Amino acid sequence: MDKKRLFRIMAKASDEEIRELASDIIADHTVMVIKEPAKTLAMIKMQEPVKESLFYIGEVIVCEAVVMVDGTRGMAVTMGDHFEKVYHMAVIDAACNQGIFAGEKRLMELEEQQITREEKENAMHLKTMVNFQSMDSEVG
Amino acid sequence: MAYVAVSGGREAIEASIRLLDYYRSGTEKDVELEAIQEKLSLLVDRVMGEAGLYAKEYAALALKQCEGSVEEAVFLLRAYRSTLTRDYYTTVTDTKNMRVVRRISAAFKDIEGGQILGATYDYTHRLIHFDRREEDAAALAQAVQGELEAQTPEPVTPCPRVSDALKQEGLIDTYEPDDTQPWDVTEHMLEFPATRSARLQTMARSDTGYISGLAYSVLRCFGGVHPTVGELRTGYVELCVPYLFDEQQEICIGEVLMTEVENFIEADDKDQLKLAVGYGAVFGRNENKAIAMAVIDHELELGGEYPTQDEEFVLMHGDSLEMNGFISHLKLPHYVTFQSKLDAVRKTRGQKHE
Repeated sequence: MDKKRLFRIMAKASDEEIRELASDIIADHTVMVIKEPAKTLAMIKMQEPVKESLFYIGEVIVCEAVVMVDGTRGMAVTMGDHFEKVYHMAVIDAACNQGIFAGEKRLMELEEQQITREEKENAMHLKTMVNFQSMDSEVG
Repeated sequence: MAYVAVSGGREAIEASIRLLDYYRSGTEKDVELEAIQEKLSLLVDRVMGEAGLYAKEYAALALKQCEGSVEEAVFLLRAYRSTLTRDYYTTVTDTKNMRVVRRISAAFKDIEGGQILGATYDYTHRLIHFDRREEDAAALAQAVQGELEAQTPEPVTPCPRVSDALKQEGLIDTYEPDDTQPWDVTEHMLEFPATRSARLQTMARSDTGYISGLAYSVLRCFGGVHPTVGELRTGYVELCVPYLFDEQQEICIGEVLMTEVENFIEADDKDQLKLAVGYGAVFGRNENKAIAMAVIDHELELGGEYPTQDEEFVLMHGDSLEMNGFISHLKLPHYVTFQSKLDAVRKTRGQKHE
């Protein structure tokens, strides 16, 4: 699983779900904290469609952590100030890098739940799709 | 302009700050942060946008702390933000792939991907629902959750931009992607002429009332044109940062809700007509601000004699913190300068009476 997908699933998962995924790794392996969970900022870089140029729309609060599991590094950054969650995310990332992560199936289940929820939300929004009838015969 | 330092008043000031609790309390009932965040979300969006900081819970907390004052909440968020380091810049955020929750066009009845009204007050009767004084919040949340659960999932597909088709037709100018690193107004003072990035960042952070008032003046003929909203889209956009141990890879850090607008305006291109585009983007569902920003973006591109076409006028007067800070300073002691003015008035009147 590529990093983008892994972190997307973890970002959308609850603190509890991530804790569960990390618990076995923490119990069975040596975890060392390289960088304690801490808050920082990420500046959001956007591309505007008119002149295709870049600009900053604003910042977002994120938290980050770096750990080592059995000598292999892992890191995580996620929106908000969920220190415990970001620590567990970094543990999972390190386990993936070490090749010892056994929770891939659970991750897939979480992803499926997340997608289903988004698709159900999407269905609610698509019910507001409108088909305007023009009352001016010249407007098609 | 001259100020004078004053001493004393410490006890009165401390009592004044304590008195804020008297005004802030009012009742034994508390307003929970989650309730502010979720039930006053448009207010939270406005504060986050004007603070230039996407942090829902902190915006809700700031609003709670200052009795719902937008400018105080913006001040609190900006002040807090200044205590943090900035260790990350996102990779380029592409709104083309936005998970759309609202998308409309005033230019075309039929657009590829469809017009999705989403959640809007546009078509509501503006009548107060007095029955909501006794609303059962838990029952409402459960009912809405039940409705969500009962939906048949519909795959999320990105919507193309309305302007894309007009670009293909040659009616709107196209540009090669410009990777020039943006100017950051939080780190560098504005310089004039401002870069496009500085302009857009400043307007995205500007006071909603200010930018809306400016745009209204344009529509009332103190400006160049009456634009058409080519596309207004609101939705969730994924944010990514480079992966620390392999910069070739990126990691997703979450999603933010934002609104983006493209306004279309008739423009001359040598001997033929074409369309110009004004652009606006803001945090959350603050769509009138996004439309107003797009109106002013085009006015600034156009240039001219109106205040809204004057870059310095527009960009230097709309920051909530600076604007309210400067107005607020009028309350500070001006005893010496005022005494001097008073003396001059008395002296002049005395001379007239002699």
